[in-house]
Amino acid sequence: MEIEVLEKDDKNIRLLVRGVDTPFMNALRRNILAEVPCMAIDEVVIIENSSVLHDEIIAHRLGLIPLKTDLESYNLPEECSCKSEFGCNLCRVTLTLDREAKDGTVTVYSGELVSENPNITPVSDKIPIIKLAKGQKLRLEAYARLGKGKIHAKWQPVSMCAYKHMPQIKIDAKNCDACGRCVEICPKKVLAKNGDKIEIRDLLACTLCQDCVDVCPKEPPAIEVGWEKNTFIFNLESTGVLPPERILEEALKILDKNLEEFAKQIEVQKT
Amino acid sequence: MIIPVRCFTCGKLIGDKWEEFARRVKMGENAGDVLDSLGIKRYCCRRMLLSHVEIIDEVLRFYEETEKRREARGYYYRE
Ligand SMILES: [Zn+2]
Ligand SMILES: [Zn+2]
Repeated sequence: MEIEVLEKDDKNIRLLVRGVDTPFMNALRRNILAEVPCMAIDEVVIIENSSVLHDEIIAHRLGLIPLKTDLESYNLPEECSCKSEFGCNLCRVTLTLDREAKDGTVTVYSGELVSENPNITPVSDKIPIIKLAKGQKLRLEAYARLGKGKIHAKWQPVSMCAYKHMPQIKIDAKNCDACGRCVEICPKKVLAKNGDKIEIRDLLACTLCQDCVDVCPKEPPAIEVGWEKNTFIFNLESTGVLPPERILEEALKILDKNLEEFAKQIEVQKT
Repeated sequence: MIIPVRCFTCGKLIGDKWEEFARRVKMGENAGDVLDSLGIKRYCCRRMLLSHVEIIDEVLRFYEETEKRREARGYYYRE
């Protein structure tokens, strides 16, 4: 396996992966979506709510707020040694909110949630939770827990995670008369006309739509779009709960663990 | 009612970008350009902001009016 990092910033990562098959890439993708744990508010105790939104709607909005996750200090509730339904300090974080609109209408933001652990805070301080008119009150206690994407989408660490084949475009220089129709029709502007030649400008952007092949007036078409076998472009966008490279790392660890478990099960079945 | 926290389709956080988006569009900027500069690339997330109407502001007006009337009647200061 050969991995090349094409782009990377604090939330996104784009990789070129060579020498793996589709089942592996798909297993990695599904592990990232469904198995990598992250922190989200799971239970809310509403002490007072005189706002215009129902308790349930506020609880739902709180649940969707992405929280910065610390995987080292916290356990999954089902794996925690406390075995308690309510949770302990190792599997639960309490956040509180207490706000009253004293003079005029105010917006309550995610930054006003007070966390008992300063490392577990909302990714952004500017997410509106609710608006309160003068005299309205909101007082609540929220419990955040680690969870997995397969239980609820709020526990998905990514907002986008996808792979595609590495495109391969062949232009038959003898057959091509550079009419430029393929350059015009390409939705991603992959091709460019350079003098009396068609050139590939941005190969990675190609979506393999084959529009350029269909529009080519030559018979057979002078352009051919295919893909490289076992080479993938892998895109990942974190919601901010964990750095993208950490998500990949965790997903691979979990994949290893699950495969080991699978091998063990096969052994048991055999004997 | 109020801007959703995340995109319905992909789950990207969009709630924190609404106020800037609404302000800049009101100032006369092109909505598409604002979305580009906020880093909202996919059309699922773009429609979340583009098609949103903050109805909670209309609902809150009723409560603001009620409050004003209460104050005018000296509701809070009567012994
Ligand atoms: Zn515990
Ligand atoms: Zn989206």
